[in-house]
Amino acid sequence: MSMNERFHQWIFNSFSVTAEGLGLLRIISSLFILFFLIPGQGTGHFAYLADIPSDFFAPPPGPLMLLDGFPSVAVFQFLHTLLLFALFAMLLGYRTKLASIAAGLSILLLQGFVFSVGKVNHEIVVALVPFLMAFSNWGAVFSLDSIRRGHDSRVESWPVTLLALFVGFMMFTAGFPKILGGWLDPSTQAAQGHLLNQFFVRERQAFLAGYMVQFDSVIFWELLDWATVIFEIGFLVAVINSRWFRYFVVFAVLFHFSTMMTLNIAFLPNFLAYAVFLNWDKIYQTNLEKYRRFTGKRGDRSKKRSLITLAVFTALLFLILHWLSSMNFVLVESDLTLHEAVILIFALLVVIWIGAMKLINRRNEE
Amino acid sequence: MKVKTVRTVFIAVLIYLPLQYGIVGIVGFYHSEPWPAFVFPGFKSVHVYDNGFEIQQTYFDVYDEVAEEPVRVLPQDFFPELPLSQVPGFLRMHFQSAEEVQELSPGAKSWLKHHADEAAGVDASKLVVVIEMNYYSHEDDVLRRDSTVVKERFTIVLTGRP
Repeated sequence: MSMNERFHQWIFNSFSVTAEGLGLLRIISSLFILFFLIPGQGTGHFAYLADIPSDFFAPPPGPLMLLDGFPSVAVFQFLHTLLLFALFAMLLGYRTKLASIAAGLSILLLQGFVFSVGKVNHEIVVALVPFLMAFSNWGAVFSLDSIRRGHDSRVESWPVTLLALFVGFMMFTAGFPKILGGWLDPSTQAAQGHLLNQFFVRERQAFLAGYMVQFDSVIFWELLDWATVIFEIGFLVAVINSRWFRYFVVFAVLFHFSTMMTLNIAFLPNFLAYAVFLNWDKIYQTNLEKYRRFTGKRGDRSKKRSLITLAVFTALLFLILHWLSSMNFVLVESDLTLHEAVILIFALLVVIWIGAMKLINRRNEE
Repeated sequence: MKVKTVRTVFIAVLIYLPLQYGIVGIVGFYHSEPWPAFVFPGFKSVHVYDNGFEIQQTYFDVYDEVAEEPVRVLPQDFFPELPLSQVPGFLRMHFQSAEEVQELSPGAKSWLKHHADEAAGVDASKLVVVIEMNYYSHEDDVLRRDSTVVKERFTIVLTGRP
């Protein structure tokens, strides 16, 4: 196979998608962003930012430098409202491509204003996922678009490959500076240093942080430094093969879970991107099968109804989780939130379940 | 989208990603990290010295007209409305040197006074920013703070409404 053909294969055949799987992914992603990933911390936060004197307006180098102060609260509210409309349209599949692009752009702009206090949080994947997936035609089914005349029902998998490339590269950008900074030097235990920094300066002291601060094993911490760098750099290499990439996504879930337990950092936005690489068609088929078994209905309508049931169930779960999280009755002393902890534990259980199923299937085949 | 267009997009992204990373490195070195950029946090620092760790901590010492002793407030308590993940960046950008804070406008000082009043529960007249370097090491399996060095200490005279 020539290089040209390989390149073509990589772009178009690395990941397989179906209209149903993408439709389900669109709905779950929309709900996930709506409940947990909208930039900023709501109206109060926007009002606070709008009130900050321009002396403290420190936009990161880029287009926002054209402004000389934070925008008024009305601008924040306008962008927030625009984002909500776009996300609801994305959820319902109404002009899905346009809605997804609008959601991506408004997330990006809101993030830009929030980061103009002088610190960029690395959450661009929240904007990237809807923006890229807009081109997969993830509104092909289970959408208002699908009942419009002349609607194109073909779906594309290349946006998933492109997202893998972005995620792999961004992971590389997390690993490369660590090499320059001395993480691989056996005389430095950098992960341990970061743990102390988070523990004492930012008072991130939940879960295992207190225990790990006292845990002093040079070999353990140095291995952790090396493993972190190899994992983050290796992510870029894994982009060339979809199976490797999915293994790295599994490692990423384990990595973020351990980071949450020790450094109390959840990196929740990344999970939106990782979720794209789940086998959504299988999730859709399993859900349909269970719905049909439970209700006894077999017709074509059961496809839509099974999906609506799952979507409503997910929305309710997210709503309850969001509400419980906002009550702030656990993790009170931490900036970790209940929903972050629950979602990361759920993601961990999912990858353990996928791993166990793979092992069982392999054993059965033998 | 046509196959040719998609291939062109991929080639453009493959060229763009390393290029923008180079730009992020250069701009970040001279100013701060640009936005938007397709990068994740590097956590480059190692916080290590000799056989221990050095951890930088900033405090706000809030004085009122009467009391001699200040009320010491952690930055995250001084700016509780800011997400914790953004507080260190905010400090790095605005509270690193005496020169920077001397240029603050009356409006900014009034805004800081409001925060100081709220955080310390006093009628604040003066804010002293203290940047310390704390040194930690493990002794007998217990983590201890060996010593503390004050790196920077500068004062902001707070004013009421401008």
